[in-house]
Amino acid sequence: MNLSLMTAYVVVISLYVNLGIALYGIFARPSLVKKLLAITILSDTANAFAVLVGYRWPKTGTPKPPVYTNSTFNNQTLHYYVTHAVDPLPQALVLTAIVIGLAVTIFIAFIIIQYYRLHGTVDVRKARR
Amino acid sequence: MKASEVFVLISIIVFIFSLAYITSLGGLGQLPPVNVRVLAQRYLELTWNPLKPFMSSSGYESVTAIVWDFRGLDTFFETAVFYGAIIAAIAIYRGVKITGKGKTIGMSPIARTITRLSIVLIPTVAASIALHGHLTPGGGFQAGSVATVVAVLIIMVFGRKAIIRKGLTKSRILLLRSLGLLGIGFTAVALLLAAIALGVNAYIFQNQPKPFAPLGFPKIYDGMILGGSLLLFNFFEFIAVTAGFTLVLLLLSLDEKDVRRVVVEK
Repeated sequence: MNLSLMTAYVVVISLYVNLGIALYGIFARPSLVKKLLAITILSDTANAFAVLVGYRWPKTGTPKPPVYTNSTFNNQTLHYYVTHAVDPLPQALVLTAIVIGLAVTIFIAFIIIQYYRLHGTVDVRKARR
Repeated sequence: MKASEVFVLISIIVFIFSLAYITSLGGLGQLPPVNVRVLAQRYLELTWNPLKPFMSSSGYESVTAIVWDFRGLDTFFETAVFYGAIIAAIAIYRGVKITGKGKTIGMSPIARTITRLSIVLIPTVAASIALHGHLTPGGGFQAGSVATVVAVLIIMVFGRKAIIRKGLTKSRILLLRSLGLLGIGFTAVALLLAAIALGVNAYIFQNQPKPFAPLGFPKIYDGMILGGSLLLFNFFEFIAVTAGFTLVLLLLSLDEKDVRRVVVEK
């Protein structure tokens, strides 16, 4: 098994483990703060998964970031760029997802703080009573 | 461990294994992939392509080209979601007065001196990430996140009141944030407004000239790649993200008893 394949498997398995931890936190933990932490782990896992889907390991050479680095432009440099750069689309989507995720996380955090002020607890079991 | 907890645990494990099986069967394919999708190849090909001027963007960085040119309208609405979330968070704190009066304790002189140096360096790095976003990895979102570190440092090391004494009051930060959003909106329709004035055709979120739409933002000036509208979008997004997060951090650092008096007791 070559190194790149092994690394990919390790990354994929860690992502699934992360997903399991996040789902456990969301469904099983009673504290709203821990649920929020679990949601952030879930969103980060989804983002990392999206970037992984857009990754590539070209047959020759190594993968390049999606930035055109040649100051000169001709068909050869363009062909090299297209055949070696990783997929930029998941990175673009993840970029905005991270910032919006952060804003939404802040909003949920504010709501949890307010909930604590009003009810004196962040435990959903106590809040039900 | 209760029976319900065991049930939840087993359900999650079964779910994860089935998801892993399904994605490995038909979703991911070969790992790591040798090729990218055809759509990605088109984006890479058209990021900087003087041979296809009507179809290409105006920077070297494919991610920024996608974010603010190829899929600019998506990003605009995503930015709107970001603003909505921050406005909703601020709404909870309506009526809470934020003043710079009173004593601040802060951290030790060592921490203060180091922070005084770094609060000059961090915005410089952030500005370079924003203004170079069309050429190197970076852009407005990333630069804004970096610049917010300054607010965190000032609040942690000098105290929350120090940030207000420096002139960054709530209304001024709100003004800055709104200016950033207005800038993004104006850049999106700038060519359209110019086209109406000149009597030609143009599109919303147009960056470079298109067939039957001859106007475009400057791509190169004196041998320097300007990036057209990408540079402007990155700059305004940088301001907006910095101001938005600074404001939220300022609210989070308020004295609990001051907030409680307004949002709970009133």
